[in-house]
Amino acid sequence: MSNIMPLIRNETIKMVKKKRLYIIFIVLAVLVPMFTYAQMKSAENNRDKFGGDWRLELQQAITDNQNSLGSDRVPEEYKKYRTVYIQQMQYYLENDVNPKEPNGVTFTREFMNNAVGLFIPLLIMAIASDLVSGERTTGTIKMLLTRPVKRWKVLLSKLVTLIMFVSIIVVSAYIICYVISGAVFGYKGFGMPIFTGFKVVGTDVDLSAVHAVDQWLYLLMQAGLIWFVSVIVAILAFMVSVLVRSTAASIVIMMAALIAGTILTNMAASWQSAKYLFMVNLELPDYLSGGLPPIEGMNLGFSLIVLSVWGIASLIVSFLVFTKRDILN
Amino acid sequence: MKRKTLDSAPWIWRTISTVSILATLLLLFGFGYAIKDVIYPEGDSALGTGQSTKTPADEASKPAAPVDDGKIRIAVIGDSLARGTGDDEGLGFVRRAGNILKEQGHDVQVLNNLGVNGLRTDALLSKLDEQGVRYVLQQSNFILLSIGANDLFQGGQVLQGEDPPSAEKLAAVLPETSKRLQEILKKVKEINPEAQIAYIGLYNPFGDVKELEVPGNAVVAAWNDAALQILNQEDKMTLVPTFDLFENHLGEYLSSDHFHPNGAGYEEIAVRIAQEYQAETTAEGSTN
Repeated sequence: MSNIMPLIRNETIKMVKKKRLYIIFIVLAVLVPMFTYAQMKSAENNRDKFGGDWRLELQQAITDNQNSLGSDRVPEEYKKYRTVYIQQMQYYLENDVNPKEPNGVTFTREFMNNAVGLFIPLLIMAIASDLVSGERTTGTIKMLLTRPVKRWKVLLSKLVTLIMFVSIIVVSAYIICYVISGAVFGYKGFGMPIFTGFKVVGTDVDLSAVHAVDQWLYLLMQAGLIWFVSVIVAILAFMVSVLVRSTAASIVIMMAALIAGTILTNMAASWQSAKYLFMVNLELPDYLSGGLPPIEGMNLGFSLIVLSVWGIASLIVSFLVFTKRDILN
Repeated sequence: MKRKTLDSAPWIWRTISTVSILATLLLLFGFGYAIKDVIYPEGDSALGTGQSTKTPADEASKPAAPVDDGKIRIAVIGDSLARGTGDDEGLGFVRRAGNILKEQGHDVQVLNNLGVNGLRTDALLSKLDEQGVRYVLQQSNFILLSIGANDLFQGGQVLQGEDPPSAEKLAAVLPETSKRLQEILKKVKEINPEAQIAYIGLYNPFGDVKELEVPGNAVVAAWNDAALQILNQEDKMTLVPTFDLFENHLGEYLSSDHFHPNGAGYEEIAVRIAQEYQAETTAEGSTN
């Protein structure tokens, strides 16, 4: 292991020298203000309507959803979602907690909840997709592999570097989001109680395990789940990067898979076996907030196992191909 | 292996590796904690399990009822008529009444429309136990209530040939339903003793269907009478009659589903609601 540290170090320096890493931060710094602004506008809009009273607003949301339950035009799937939503919101009202209290921490929580399915994985891909294929495009792979270092060590050093940066990206996304949205909504909200432990059984919500956690702890748990998802996506992108010679192609393959995932998540309810696809299992934070899983019978344990299997399989493929295949030309 | 000499390399490497190791540890901890929390949740016994167990302490944390600043705060609760179903402009009688009162120079805010399509008296009774609903009613000072049509007419399904309501059938459901209506009115009064409550009476949507006209009229009249009995006992509670409005104008005032009012029908009801408010406030001699 002694000679792997310099390799990792070398890869890290390469990564920092790449402009692509900064693109990620720039994208975050540009998009987050946009979302913040949109959120601010909708908050203003509601303030006018309900005189700034969140309880009235929440009760109206509950009633509107109850009305859509009786409509034949609403698909059964949505009715499930709404039934769950109604019960959760009533729980918040019963306990007199505003689930949407406007502050930087709440905004960050909601933003990251929405970002885990597509946005964060895209950022991860930006650095993962050219780790190996990029070296082949430029021909620098020869410099790497003609040294007296075992190939698996070269690949491992790239992988370790990748995971290091995945952690940095996830944490940075939180920090950037909190700093920017806090400027508008204020930096409070770490101590706010968030309810978790809603168990969705069919269309009903089991409230027996519901408990309040402070929002900072909730964010930490959410970040941990998002990190796991990001690592798996990174490993998959890494494998594609080993298999495909061109960086552009490897980015397209990963993007297609991810976007297919968001589409499937919205319509796969009737296709049971879709739950074994990695991209349908990316919404891990939903298990914290008590959202309805895309396909019945999915739970946190199931999704973790599916993602792990995909990740381990990708690792095996990456290392086998990289050490066995003639990739020097 | 020969190291590339980059002047900034040691510094970059040290920073990045430290930051990323710390970040990874933090995230790993969060990941582990999340798994524990989802798979072995510790239910909080201190929290209600969806049952409203109200304590005085809860009440204290709520903002007090709004001050009497002359502003009319309207809330409406009940069935599809409360909702405004059938109104081509989507206003319903509540927004229309609000607009009329505004034109008369009042300061009006329509707080919430808690009407749910197809709601019946039993469902409304349990709804009145919900924390959010109680809160809305407490925040308003003019409560409009519309309920009962679904109990009597099953939402107009009769017209599609599903068990037409014979006179006996209608008469059979009347006693218990009107008893529930009385309970509802009492409960609303309990939740907010200060507010003015206006109950929107029923009309007979089948007045132009030969075999339904007579039994329908009889039942609606009996129903409205039952409502009046309790409304007359209480102050600040009025019945807004609609029976006569619709009686000979069904073609004019009903929407295409032949059960709910259309825009014009809602407008007529709204005019009456505005009148009721006027009458009520002048009777009290309060100046607005």
